[in-house]
Amino acid sequence: MIILLLFTAIFGREVPFTANIGIVDSDNTPLTSNIISAFNDTTIFNVEIFKNKTQALEALNATDVRAVITIPKNFSLNLTTGKNTYALLAIDKTDPQVTQTVEGTIKTLFSEFYKEIGNYTEPISVIEETSLMREEIGYKEHIVPGMLCYPFLFSSMVAATGAIVYEKHKGTLKKIRASPVRPLNVLFGKTLAALFQTAISILIIAVLAVLVLTPKVNWNVPLMIPIMFLGSMNGIAVGLLISCIGRSPQAASSAATTIGVVLQFFIGMYFPQEFLPTYIQQIGNIIPMTYAVQAIRSIMLQNAALTDILQPIATLVVSALILYAVGILLYKRWVEKE
Amino acid sequence: MTEKTVIQVEGLVKHYGEVTALDGVSFSVKEGEIFGLLGPNGAGKTTLMEILCCLRRFDEGNATVLAFDLIKDSRKVRGSIGFCPQETLLYDLLSVRENFAFAASLYSLDSKKFKERVEFSSKFLGVGEFLNRKVKELSGGMKRRANLAVSIVHDPPVVILDEPTVGFDPNVKREFWELIQDLKNYEKTVLISTHDMFEADELCDRVAIMDKGKIVALDKPDILKETLGGETSIRIKTKEAPKKAVSLLKEYKCIMRDDEIQVFVKNPWRIVPEVSNKLISHGVLTEKIEVVEPTLEDVFIKLTGRRLTEE
Ligand SMILES: Nc1ncnc2c1ncn2[C@@H]1O[C@H](COP(=O)(O)OP(=O)(O)OP(=O)(O)O)[C@@H](O)[C@H]1O
Ligand SMILES: [Mg+2]
Repeated sequence: MIILLLFTAIFGREVPFTANIGIVDSDNTPLTSNIISAFNDTTIFNVEIFKNKTQALEALNATDVRAVITIPKNFSLNLTTGKNTYALLAIDKTDPQVTQTVEGTIKTLFSEFYKEIGNYTEPISVIEETSLMREEIGYKEHIVPGMLCYPFLFSSMVAATGAIVYEKHKGTLKKIRASPVRPLNVLFGKTLAALFQTAISILIIAVLAVLVLTPKVNWNVPLMIPIMFLGSMNGIAVGLLISCIGRSPQAASSAATTIGVVLQFFIGMYFPQEFLPTYIQQIGNIIPMTYAVQAIRSIMLQNAALTDILQPIATLVVSALILYAVGILLYKRWVEKE
Repeated sequence: MTEKTVIQVEGLVKHYGEVTALDGVSFSVKEGEIFGLLGPNGAGKTTLMEILCCLRRFDEGNATVLAFDLIKDSRKVRGSIGFCPQETLLYDLLSVRENFAFAASLYSLDSKKFKERVEFSSKFLGVGEFLNRKVKELSGGMKRRANLAVSIVHDPPVVILDEPTVGFDPNVKREFWELIQDLKNYEKTVLISTHDMFEADELCDRVAIMDKGKIVALDKPDILKETLGGETSIRIKTKEAPKKAVSLLKEYKCIMRDDEIQVFVKNPWRIVPEVSNKLISHGVLTEKIEVVEPTLEDVFIKLTGRRLTEE
């Protein structure tokens, strides 16, 4: 039910299409600024003005600027004197649908503009000078980082809850507690076990993802491992909390599973956060695992380096420390309460 | 038997919210003794044992195990006790040997000592035959034995057993008693809880009878039974009208117990004909009249007016 609602919320609304385009105005006359404001007035385009072409093409390459229009010198003069007039277009052709819309709209706008100042002989031609094809980031590529984060909820959290609650219920925890082993060591042991379980799950998912989906992503394993660790620790800490609060093993286990099932939609596992409705994003922002998903996604899709993801890392460290500390306190209180 | 005190308990009080589970319990257990806690459900036996194993806190009083304070030297106390609770200590999916290994690691046994202990348990508790089988494949009796073996894997001087023979059939119970009595040969001190009067009688050197968080009597089983004043009981089962029978026997000390009438007397062999004549002459037919030696349960009934087990 929740799943259905969320899918409707995500895909059910009309997303107005907008594209960022860059304009290099080498002519700089009242006429060209008219053209620029005409572009700006459309609902489709966000116009960014670039001083020179190099900068503009760089932006086309590296950011989400979809196209760069270059207005050459003497554009206005040529137009008013009836000479052959043209504008240059550099376009990102990664997504055919977007390309079609962007290119089509630009051409239409120029011809409309030409009609408005109608009394000139030659129409303005739009000459395509360069185009580029980005590596396509498809759903496959989006889902893989999310999948790798799945174990934070369903291995770390559920395993940590299960491990403690099961032993509490069975009486084997009594044996451990009646031995000289310190309570903290018991917790660390459970944590290690849950970490190990999480690592195995992630490994299995990673292997399956590579074999089945063959996503074109960046496997920066040395950077991903610490994030995975932090994500797991957050999951384990939450599991610890649940098992200390839970009144019965059944209650705690099903609480952990339910929380996992609900959280999976908020942490941006299946879709990048930007695709989600705002209220989901806002809820996601207060869930630590969201930052792990973000960091993993930036690494895998945007080749992010350590310095690019310092903020999510810091958030993860702080939340893991806080949650784990509260977990330890609750566990100690529970052990001593009886 | 030396006179060294191993477990010393003074005025222990434990509340669970409104419930007072222990209401000022004091006793001491000597080295090498098998000390029984006999009491009905809810008497506070488990609570007392778990406090001694440092699994629960207590509200008042104090206690030591081998002169270690329960709170200040909690780790030393835990290290010297082998506790076998009512619940199982075993992991179902592991073999008995793996369970041993895990328990041994909790007490940091080295591998030589571990091997020695596994051998001991195999010989002593007969777990050798199923050492490599998974716990979930064992029978109830095997599990119990494995449970005991695991709880004493670290060779503790003090063994605390919480109702270890619940659900055993009489033969197995007897075997188990022998095992526990054998522990004496290894200089263990044993604290065992039960609500089986025969178990307490047969097995224990001394018995504390507990009721509602208090010790109502504490001594050797024979001496406890003597407190009944050497009274034996005659049990009478009538075919009908037990109420009428009780009123006929008013002159004796008698109580109704289930569908039986129990008469406490000093010289049963003289009283039995007297009683049966009286009943028959008033038209009450008897199904059975028997003389029973006093049990610890009789002691409990005398002290509390209730039975040990409500059937
Ligand atoms: N965790 C707990 N919370 C609240 N009350 C408890 C708890 N454990 C035991 N009690 C109460 O304390 C009293 C003593 O219980 P305890 O388990 O010590 O009895 P017991 O003699 O071991 O009984 P049994 O023969 O049934 O094992 C009972 O009234 C019980 O309801
Ligand atoms: Mg009990």
